Parts: sequence; C-alpha cells; structure tokens
Amino acid sequence: MNAPAAILEVENLRVSFGGLKAVNDVSFSVQRGSVTSVIGPNGAGKSTLFNLICGAIAPDHGRVRLKGNDVTGWPPNRIARAGLARSFQITNLFFDLPVEENLRLAAQALEPSGKLLRPKRHSQRANAKVRELLERFELSHKAGELAGYLSHGEQRRLEIAVALAGEPELLLLDEPTQGMSHGDTADTSRMIRELARDITVLLIEHDIELVMGLSHWVVVMHQGQKLSEGPPEQVRADPAVRKAYLGEA
Amino acid sequence: MARRPSVRTPASASDDTLRLAPGTSGGAARRETVMTVAIEYLQFVLAPQMLNGLTIGVAVVLVALGLSIIFGLLDVVNMAHGEFYALGAFISMSLYSLGVSFWLALVLVPPIVIPIGFLIERGLIQRVYQHDQRHVLTLLLTVGLSIIMEDAFDLIYGPNTMRPENPLPGSTEFLGVILPNYRLFLLAVGVATILATWLVIYRTRLGAMIRAAAFDKHMTASLGVPVLRVYAGTFAFGVALAGFAGVLLAPIYSVFPTMGHDFVLLAFTAVIVGGIGSFYGAVIAGLLLAQIQAISSLYIPPYWSDPLLFAIMVAVLVVRPQGLFNWMGKG
Amino acid sequence: MHPANTVVSPAAPAPARRRLGVQHLVIAFPVLSLTFASIGAVLGETFYLRLATEALILAGLALSVDILLGYTGLLSLGQALYFGLGAYTAAYLLGQGAVGFWGALLSSLALATPVALLAGLVAIRSKGVYFILITFGLAQVAAKTIYNTRELGGSDGLVGVPVLQADFGLFRVDLGSPVEFFLLMLALIMGLYLGLNYLMHTPFGRTLVAIRSNEHRVRFLGFDPWRYKLAAYAVAANVAALSGAMYPMLRGFVSPELLYFKMSADAVITVIFGGVGTLIGPIYGSVALVGLRTVLGSWTEHYHMIIGALFMLAVIFMPRGIAGLFERKESGPAQDEAERT
Repeated sequence: MNAPAAILEVENLRVSFGGLKAVNDVSFSVQRGSVTSVIGPNGAGKSTLFNLICGAIAPDHGRVRLKGNDVTGWPPNRIARAGLARSFQITNLFFDLPVEENLRLAAQALEPSGKLLRPKRHSQRANAKVRELLERFELSHKAGELAGYLSHGEQRRLEIAVALAGEPELLLLDEPTQGMSHGDTADTSRMIRELARDITVLLIEHDIELVMGLSHWVVVMHQGQKLSEGPPEQVRADPAVRKAYLGEA
Repeated sequence: MARRPSVRTPASASDDTLRLAPGTSGGAARRETVMTVAIEYLQFVLAPQMLNGLTIGVAVVLVALGLSIIFGLLDVVNMAHGEFYALGAFISMSLYSLGVSFWLALVLVPPIVIPIGFLIERGLIQRVYQHDQRHVLTLLLTVGLSIIMEDAFDLIYGPNTMRPENPLPGSTEFLGVILPNYRLFLLAVGVATILATWLVIYRTRLGAMIRAAAFDKHMTASLGVPVLRVYAGTFAFGVALAGFAGVLLAPIYSVFPTMGHDFVLLAFTAVIVGGIGSFYGAVIAGLLLAQIQAISSLYIPPYWSDPLLFAIMVAVLVVRPQGLFNWMGKG
Repeated sequence: MHPANTVVSPAAPAPARRRLGVQHLVIAFPVLSLTFASIGAVLGETFYLRLATEALILAGLALSVDILLGYTGLLSLGQALYFGLGAYTAAYLLGQGAVGFWGALLSSLALATPVALLAGLVAIRSKGVYFILITFGLAQVAAKTIYNTRELGGSDGLVGVPVLQADFGLFRVDLGSPVEFFLLMLALIMGLYLGLNYLMHTPFGRTLVAIRSNEHRVRFLGFDPWRYKLAAYAVAANVAALSGAMYPMLRGFVSPELLYFKMSADAVITVIFGGVGTLIGPIYGSVALVGLRTVLGSWTEHYHMIIGALFMLAVIFMPRGIAGLFERKESGPAQDEAERT
C-alpha cells in the first residue's frame, strides 16, 4: 500500500480516551486525485480519525504521512500549511464575522507572512481567491453578511469554501451534507466531483447513496477499527459491512 | 552554648507570639549533639511555624473552597471574594461593638452573609448569564462589586485598623512545643467546616442538585430543580465560607478595608494551583501553599513570600496548565 | 447560531448613510481637545490642563487593555504592570539624569518587550480564566516587590523627576508648559490610535479578531494562535509602558500605586465605558473616568464606590459603551434582544 501516488498514508493509528479505544489500529492510504470516503455507523471513530489526521489530537500509536512526510504529532496549523484542509461536521465558522472575512482569513495562508502587516488590499492573491470562492459557492450576494445569519445550507457551503480557500492538496470533508436538503445535497455532490479534478478529497459521510455515486474508494469503519475497504460496489456487497450497518439500523 | 532561635511569623499578633517554654534557656553548658540541636530546632522553630502554617492554611482553604465552588459550579470568577472575607470580619466587629461575644459572632456571621450573597448573585450577577461572553461579564461585575465593597468598608468603618481581642488566650504545651490555644481552636473549627462542606456537596441531596445544575442546567431545570435559586444559594454558600474565615482570622490578622486583597491572592493562587473547580485541589494546594509561606518566612524576608508563591504557581502551570486536579464533578 | 451582541463582539463598520458613526468620534476627539487646549491656554489654566493630560496618559493604558480584550479576546487585569514598569524606568533614569525625553521612552519600551515575552510565555499558554488571574497576580507581585525595594523608593516611590524638553529636531516641546505637554500627549495618543487602528485592520490584526471569534478553527487555517496572542500581548505591553513613561514627566514622581489592581481595573472600566474593540471608545472612556472622578471627588471622598456602581450598571445595561451608541445597528433578532438585555 505504498504507491507513489498516495497523498495520505495512515499506519496503525491508535488512540484511546479513558478506556475507550476510539481508533484501533487503522491503516489505509489515499490516492492522489481520488475521492475516498470513510463510512461507518455512529461512534465508529470516523471523526476521531479525522482529528488524528489533521493534528487536532495526537495518536497513542501509529503514523500519519502526508505527501510522504511524517506529520504525526504535528500541530494543526503546521499540517494545514503542509497542504491539508478540513471542514467540520458541526459548522465551525467565524459566526460573528462577515462571510468574506471568513474566506479572506483562510485565503491569507496563500500570502507570504510579510503581507500580514500591510493593508488588506495588498494581499491580492488572497483577495482574488475570496472573489473566486464567493462566486463558485454562490455566496456573493451574502459577502458582507455575518456568517451566523446565513441559512444552514449556506453555512455548510461556506464551511467547505473556507476549507478550500487555502488551496489545499488534500481536503478532508466531515459530513458536508449534514442537515442539508435534497437539492443542496445534490449540488454538494456535484461540487465535490468537480473539486476532485484538482485536489484529493477524503470524505466522511452518512449518506450511502452519495458515497457510492461519488467515491473511487471506500473505507468502512466500525467500533474504531477498519472493517473493510475497496471500490464502492465491492464494499457494498461485503457481508461484514452489511451486518455492521443492519445491526446499527 | 544554648541557642535561642528567633521565630518570625508572617503577621505576628502580639499575644499570639510563639514563645519558648520557660526553663529551656540556660547558661549551663551543655554537650550539644546534632540530635539535640535538631530537636530543639524542631520544637521551637519548625513545629510552631508549621502549626502556624497549618492554621492559616485551613483558613486559606475555606476561602479557596468558596472561590473554587463558585467557579466550578457557577462558572463565575468572583473577584470580590476577598471582600466577602473582609465582610465577615467587619460584621463581626460590628457585633462585638454591640456586646456580642466571639462565639456568638462566629455563629451569626454566616447567616448574615448568606442572604447578602444570595441577593447579589440573583439580582446582579445573574443578569448577564445569558450573554455569550458571560465569563468576562460576570468577572467584570465582581470587579465592580469589589470596588464598591472596599470603598463601603472605608466609608462605614473608616480606614483604620481594628483588632478584636483574642477570645482564647494562652497556650498549651505539647511535646515541649508551645501551641497557642486560639490557633488550635482555629484549626479544629476549620477542619470541621471543610469536612462539613465536603459532606454537603458530595453526600447530600442539596449537593447533588448543585452539582447537577452545574453540569447541565437545562436538564436539571426540567427536573423541577429551581436552578437559579440553586446558583444563588451556591454563591451565597461560597462567600459565607469566606466570611466565616474572616471572622476566624480577624484576631490574628486585624481588620481593615483593604484586608481582602492581600489574603485573597493566596486563595486565588491556591485555586489556580489546585485546579479551578476542584475540591481536593483547593484543600491540598491551600494547605501546601500556606505551609510553604509559613516555613519560608523563617528564612526569607516576609515580602518575598508573595513572589515565591507566585513563582510556585507559575511553575505548576508550566508543567500542568490546568492545575493539579480536575473539575469538581470528577474531583 | 447567531452572534450575540456582547461586550467583546467586533464593531460592525458604520455605513455611510448613518448620520453619526464611530469615525465621527475619531474626528471629534482631537477637535474637542484642541478647543479645550485653546481655552486653557487663553485662561492661563494649569490644573485642568494637567488633569486632562493625565487622562490622555491613562487613555494609553486603556488602549493597551483594548488591544487584548477588544481584539484578541484576552482580559488582562494586570496591564498596570507595564504601565508601572514604564513609569519607573523613566522616572529612575530621568532622576539620575542619565537620559532625556527620547531616552526615557526608548528605555521603557526596551524593558517592556522582554518582560512581556517572558510573562506572556506563561500567561498565554493558560486558558481563559487562568490568564486573567495570572495577569492579576503578576501585577500584584510586582507592585509588592517594588513597594519593598528601597532602591526604588519603597512605599514612597521615586521623586525628583526633572522637567524636560522634548527635542523634535525642528521644534522643542517644553514639558513644563501645561499647554505644550497636553498637545504633545494628544498627538501621542492620536498617533497611537491611528497606528493601532491600522494594525488591527491588517491581516495580523484580523487574525487576532478571528482568534477571539473562534480560536479552534483558526489553527486549521494555518495560524498558530499562541504566537499571535503573544505578539498582541507584547504590543499591548509596549503601549502601556510608553504611556507609563509619560507619567513621571507630568507628575514628577512615581509610586507603587501605579501598579496596583485599582489601576488595572480602572483601565478595564474605561474600556467598557468607552466601548470595547473600538480603540477610540477607551480614549473617551478615560476622559470620562477622570472627569467623573474629579467631579465626584469634589463632593465625596468615596467616589470610587459610585464609579464601581456605574461600572456594574454599564456592564449590565450598556455593554457596548459610549462608542456603542454610535455604531451601526444591525438588523436581526439577536441584536434587538441583546439590546434590551
């Protein structure tokens, strides 16, 4: 599993909280340019896995490799600068700041640190990125609005846009369609497919249909462990997977 | 060559000075062994000072407990806590001037402080509970409160220092160590109060209600518990502990308008070191820090004890930023 | 999730169409101050001019609190530490005749930065409440230490600071003249305001605001909150020290009281009165506080009680302060509800 095209490699990751093994010896890799989904019943450890990958928590055991570099134990800001971005399951925006400020903050990472002390208008690359994202995510008309006043669907869109603003190579999406309507979900699905043309996407999702239609590769987690992985149809047909899900339902 | 060590206490009360037991001075030449010197040192220097530290420590714990309870259960940093400590002392002074005895005052002061605390919490502090930034706002409110209270003391009682008489003069000898009676009493009462507090919080229904309300206010409210009143009551209880400590320490430390500030820094340090919201943390840190202060006063000038304690606090925080122990709920 | 209208939410930019905005407050201040100075000069007044100058010096301390509270989301109850540090440094060196005006200022800054970095190293690692208590404790300990240090004047402080001339090359300012000192201080404060305002609108400053808004998320955008907070803390310390250095030049002495909790608390009070996160608000707040103190102080010795009460009322009913009255009102249920408290 050490193909040169792997942008992310997770090896024997393990973390426990109290006595609970939230993630227990999980290994897989994510191919560059693919859409990989992590699915599993509630409590399977998917979000914890994300937290381990992006540096929010440090594993008790195991390694995380991003673009071949060992990033295990790195703080989140360092991993973000290395090309990884994530969105959150529970919307995690700057609610009391305007939409465009949310985006601009994330896009500032594109600029050299010297620009920090110069007026905002000097960060042209970041500003251009903000305009681009506003248009792409259809939020231009809400640019000056405080993020907290957006509708749920708009907030979820902004959540993803913010993650993209830093031009990451690997994007972690944690249940992007959480609470979305059908229409929004379909739009999001389409958007993810478009994104995957330029960057790699690692996705946590509950919506199985979305996952099956979208992913090149699926990783199934259950009770902290990797239960199965493979192309969508293979995973769907896997009896162990069916048992885990049906037992959950 | 009998040595006569001098004993320095942080705030020596005149009739409370630890004295050498009569009969030990001597011009008689004595063959000194290291043992003799050590025992003498222990008897006349260290032990009295340790008792000192213990009694002050118990009072610090009472104040720190109140602070920790209020923060742990209400999420309020009571910057006026020192002023409630002073309030207890001042109320006792008023009672004494009315002819009330020390013993009666001890019993009367907490029930006087409790409604004051209750009303302040219910009427003022709770007004900002709904805000996003309630931590900052409640803290600022208590800052304002401390300003008002301190000035009020100055207004009502004047700026001069008052000192009530020692209600238990005299001392007891134990293993050759002279122990002032009042300090022994203070120790006993303090320990009893701490135990009683522990019982209330961890072993009574009231305590369970308080802890539940701290943990999940909406759930507790929906179970029929009058959450706002529980909060106000908890605050009142916390400041009453401080006020009680104020009455106890008044004969030792004297009473004056800014007395709250000096003492409360030690309590705050104990709370931080012990871990905000932790019962055991407040007890252990309070006793420890007071002991350190007492013993260190033998070797360093008194005004270095604050920086020393602060340095200890910093050291603890560097190693364990959340303090030694965890939240009261789990403490 | 709706943003609550709170003490520390950032001020929304005032739109052009509203009649009175925060920017009018900014312009009004120097205008009003210059008017005041002219009247004072004509009348040959000294007491009120010096008092006003002191208000401006305290405004500097208030600015230092606002940088931390209004932008970075950190409440420091010990900024008086740096104010006092600056004051003592200036007083000591000036008293020795070792430096002149610029030397005093530079020395104060030179001391403030390393102390702030050292203190910040511990304080900023600590979360929320611990930070507040540590800053509180730091100032208390420093105050006590200075109080007990004979070389620094002990409880009496340092006296004998000479009257200075500030040499600006093209012209000189005689700090002995109340009008000239006032004008100098006004220029200094407005300069600080403009500089800090600029800084808070740069990406650096906006990151501070983001940290206050959602520190957790900021990390995932590639920023290390710790570094930013430490930088903000150092900036605030320098601003406080700079203002502190001016104090002995005005009053001719320094005392340990400059580091007491009262000083730090008063600064926070002026920030709340004036309007958190506006920078100009705290400047007005300082003037208001000094004015209140003078007026109330002439009636009663216990004016502090009244100020404390007013402060509590302000926290409960007017958390956005004076400047809050000039800010754009947002549409939205959260705003109106919060306004009603």
